[in-house]
Amino acid sequence: MSHTSRRAVLLGAGALAALPASGWSFERDGNRKVLVFAGNQGVPVLDPHVRYDWSTRMIQQSVYDGLLKYVGAPPRIIPWLAERYEESADGLTYTFHLVGNAKFHNGDPLDAEAVRFSFERGLKLNAGIAWMLKDFLKPENIVAVDPRTVRFTLDRPFAPFISYVPWWYIVNPKQVAANTVDGDNGRRWLTENAAGSGPFKLRRFDGNTLIHLDTVPDYWKGWPMGEANRLSGVIYRLLREAAPRRAALQRREIDFGTNFSPDDLEQMARLPGVAIENHAGFTTFGIKFNCQQGPTADINLRKAIAHAFDYESLITIHNGGARLMDSPFPTGMAGHVSVPDMPRKDLEKARVFLARSRVPNGDIELEYVHVQGLEDARRIGLALLDSLRALNIRVNIVGQPWTTMVARGSKPDTAPNMTSVYVTPVGTDPDTVAYQYHRDSWGLYYGMSHYENPEVWAMIAEARGMVDQTRRMAIYAEVQRRIVADQPELFGMIANRTWARRDYVKDFEFSPIRFTGEVDLYPLWIQG
Amino acid sequence: MASRSLRLAGFLFRRSFASMLGLTLVTLIVALALLGPWIVPYPDDVAGATNLAGKLQPPSAAHWFGTDEVGNDILTRVIIGARLSLLVGLGITLAAAAIGVPLGILAGTAGGRLREAIMRVTDLFLSVPGLVLAIALVAALGPGIANAMLALVLVWWPGYVRLAESKALSIREEPFIEAARVAGAGRLRILWRHVLPNSISPLIVKMSMDIGQAILAVASLGFLGLGAKPPTPEWGAMISIARGYLPDWWWYAICPGAFIYASVLGFNLLGDGLRDILDPRSNRG
Amino acid sequence: MITYLLRRAGLAALMLFGLICLTFIIANVAPSDPAALAAGPDAGRSQIEQARREYGLDRPLHEQFLRYVTDLTRGDFGRSVANGRPVGQDLARYFPATLELCLLAMALGVLAGVPLGMLSAVFKDRWIDHATRILAVSGIALPPFWFGLLLQLGFATALGWLPTSGRLSVFTEPAAPITGLLLVDSLLRGNGALFTEALSYIILPAIVLSLPCLASILRVNRSEMVEALRADYITAARANGVLRRRLIAVHALKNAMLPTLAIIGLRWGWMMSSTVLVETVFDWPGIGLYAVSSAISGDFKPVMGVTLIVGLNFMIANLVVDLLYGTLDPRLRDA
Repeated sequence: MSHTSRRAVLLGAGALAALPASGWSFERDGNRKVLVFAGNQGVPVLDPHVRYDWSTRMIQQSVYDGLLKYVGAPPRIIPWLAERYEESADGLTYTFHLVGNAKFHNGDPLDAEAVRFSFERGLKLNAGIAWMLKDFLKPENIVAVDPRTVRFTLDRPFAPFISYVPWWYIVNPKQVAANTVDGDNGRRWLTENAAGSGPFKLRRFDGNTLIHLDTVPDYWKGWPMGEANRLSGVIYRLLREAAPRRAALQRREIDFGTNFSPDDLEQMARLPGVAIENHAGFTTFGIKFNCQQGPTADINLRKAIAHAFDYESLITIHNGGARLMDSPFPTGMAGHVSVPDMPRKDLEKARVFLARSRVPNGDIELEYVHVQGLEDARRIGLALLDSLRALNIRVNIVGQPWTTMVARGSKPDTAPNMTSVYVTPVGTDPDTVAYQYHRDSWGLYYGMSHYENPEVWAMIAEARGMVDQTRRMAIYAEVQRRIVADQPELFGMIANRTWARRDYVKDFEFSPIRFTGEVDLYPLWIQG
Repeated sequence: MASRSLRLAGFLFRRSFASMLGLTLVTLIVALALLGPWIVPYPDDVAGATNLAGKLQPPSAAHWFGTDEVGNDILTRVIIGARLSLLVGLGITLAAAAIGVPLGILAGTAGGRLREAIMRVTDLFLSVPGLVLAIALVAALGPGIANAMLALVLVWWPGYVRLAESKALSIREEPFIEAARVAGAGRLRILWRHVLPNSISPLIVKMSMDIGQAILAVASLGFLGLGAKPPTPEWGAMISIARGYLPDWWWYAICPGAFIYASVLGFNLLGDGLRDILDPRSNRG
Repeated sequence: MITYLLRRAGLAALMLFGLICLTFIIANVAPSDPAALAAGPDAGRSQIEQARREYGLDRPLHEQFLRYVTDLTRGDFGRSVANGRPVGQDLARYFPATLELCLLAMALGVLAGVPLGMLSAVFKDRWIDHATRILAVSGIALPPFWFGLLLQLGFATALGWLPTSGRLSVFTEPAAPITGLLLVDSLLRGNGALFTEALSYIILPAIVLSLPCLASILRVNRSEMVEALRADYITAARANGVLRRRLIAVHALKNAMLPTLAIIGLRWGWMMSSTVLVETVFDWPGIGLYAVSSAISGDFKPVMGVTLIVGLNFMIANLVVDLLYGTLDPRLRDA
């Protein structure tokens, strides 16, 4: 309670509230500033080996460090805890050399054993990030060679390996051991506590309301804005509804906010002192057809729908802040090619395909399922409904909880005819997206289409183990073309990533590899 | 005699400003529900037509209450929504009464174990937080108007059991029932001829009020995202979406809310007025 | 009296068990896969299966039910699949906020309802009476979520007098709770600034929540006062002027006390249920918001927990009302 709150000023007298927003200044803690960030999603589980989503990872990235780190647009991988690494010619062995000065918040040195322990923990808990590496890496094949060297030996070559390493955060083995109850490997404790080495440490954690982070003054990596401008800390505030979030930014109760609707952003851009961040994203939106069961198992019907859909509506719904997909891969991903003849609205063609299908006159009803509460997906459903009226196809728009949607999608006979799915690739390697079209992904949320093409499957499986990058990328180019030709989904758009912030927040660095809404808090500071 | 008491009732009703207001509001809502499709300016807007170019327009001569986030006319959708809300309110109330009243009369006249069993189950449901239970149920079954109705009927019927049972109990002891029994009338006949007619007044009053409350309950579920599926124009769901467009597009939320308020107010005032006439002794709480 | 009490308590326990069965059935008719929520978005099949085992979701239903009931007797409400935290812990965290909101709303309902009811009776059939009557019915007819949004638009957005939502400003770090009720805690600590702040956040949701209760109390007090005034014609000769009026008011108040208490009891459980809407609108961190956000993401253990807590409140309130009637009005005890 050392700082006075601008809220107190607001409460003092109603009359004050009528003053222009510039009447207040940002939050301070002593002589340093506190940045307040607001989002619509809590952080239920902070444990870096158990859970990730945008809000969770934003906090994880702040309190933990990884061996490597993603930065910039297009995303690059830069050395972090590891100052360098080597890859063996056969693609099996990776050796990481750690920096010498990294230490955990409690003062313990961050050494090779901590790295080994963390990767082992991630694999053993078999949750969250485990899927990325567990089929290629066994815990016993991670070796702490000396305090500053760790060696990973993979079971077989796995090209995307390095692209996943940045998401494996290093926890302090001693703290985990000290807080292990009933052999839970510290799981219970790490849900609401942190044992990291990152630029911030936890001050107050209530994952459903507010998280207060303090900067670590002697962070081993130093602070890019210089000691004088270093913040006191960052508050992540959960504001579920857009309107209060917006009002808060307007009144300077928050300095940075996300999850604003395109319409809201347009209004906010006109406010003095508010800056809008608007960047090309990496998250694809597609409508997955059920390729095994029901009317959409018919490729001609799928093509008919793909040519009847009004793609422009995707752009309009985002007030221009979106690009149509020109491949199953997002632009900016390694190996992405622009596939010619991507379906666009063409009713002539659509009718031709419909005539060839098993329902030449339409007169069917198709179910369109979206995650309950996702406003954009609902509006796209309305646009789809309107588009398909031209083919005499009715659309039943259903919002379902995530759990129900996933449960239904796990089997071809229960998977909806059409499911709207957003996918953010976790790495820059093309395999991350390509593998979603492999047989192994059937039944997972991005594999709800139960897409079947053994030739494509074989190509995908071959490419992920290849060391020769040129040949590998050639295969992916072919994979993209084949998938588009089979139309397992209606390839939609990639929406821009947007934030609104006060203009005194400096050095925001965008990287599309982060999740929608996620921001790297490390470089941020407040001027003035 | 009958016409005189009817005229007296009419007089009493007219004297009360509140009851007249209720009657007027209900008449208006019913008229809108009946005439809706013929009087709305953009009938296509409820069938799923989208006009993204004209989204979120402020109120104007063309769109009295503005347009929504996909360019549909809000007035049109609200008026068509009246029909849905009214049907849903009526449906829930009738279904709840159809389940509750027979059970209540049965419990009240049968007595013994049967009564005990019926009333305990009723008490269980009465002691359950209705809205919370309905939310859980709709979340489990999946959103949709049918599931919302099902959930609400499930939490609504016990009220009718209570009402019918207490009426049946009180009438059972009346001399004219005794007389009928002595005269050899069967149980069913007694029920039909004496118990039911005597329960009708409080029943009408309760149903009138419940239609209003059911409309409100469905709108509440809609607001929480558990009501009608798009593009069905449901008032609560509209407010739920409109909430994301506050405060700049405030008119979007105002209109459907005002309609909910007006119709629930109407049915409650009407029920109030009816109670004063039909059931003056119970004018409590 | 003791046997009556025991009988009532036994009945309440039975109904609680019924409620547990009911919520369990509801939670399991869902065609959803909680294990998928537990395992996280990109989880593969093996992680989902592991989560299923971890949460005991692979056991047969009757076994799951038995385990749930046994756990409940130990005060364990199970674990949320969304965050793996014990539901009991979260309920303990969120319940005080809901309690505070409901208590204040109830107080507002009584404080406004009683005088308005009297006023309405004194001016029976005049415009004040009509106005309060419409106000009373409005209390039941106003959609709480809509009215809440209107108040936010007016007092928070347009006028800027009050905060839009939440329970406290983000910059306020409340000290460790004493009662968990911020208003009470801040008074106990003599922290006036915190009290004002907490009040500014709670007042709008409390007003919205109080309306239906206000309406009922208003009506009861009106009709009792009308009765008292009617009886007054007979005794009019005995006293006059101010004294007489005071007598009537006191008499009516006394008569209205019992039904007012009854309404408080009946409305209490109801309020706990409808707080869901108010909490959603005002982002109030109570059990209602917890229930809705869990229900929408398909996480049922929290919903079951909240239903049980609210149901328990219903039952206790009903029990208290019965007992009060029993003590205050001996005739009812045997009825």
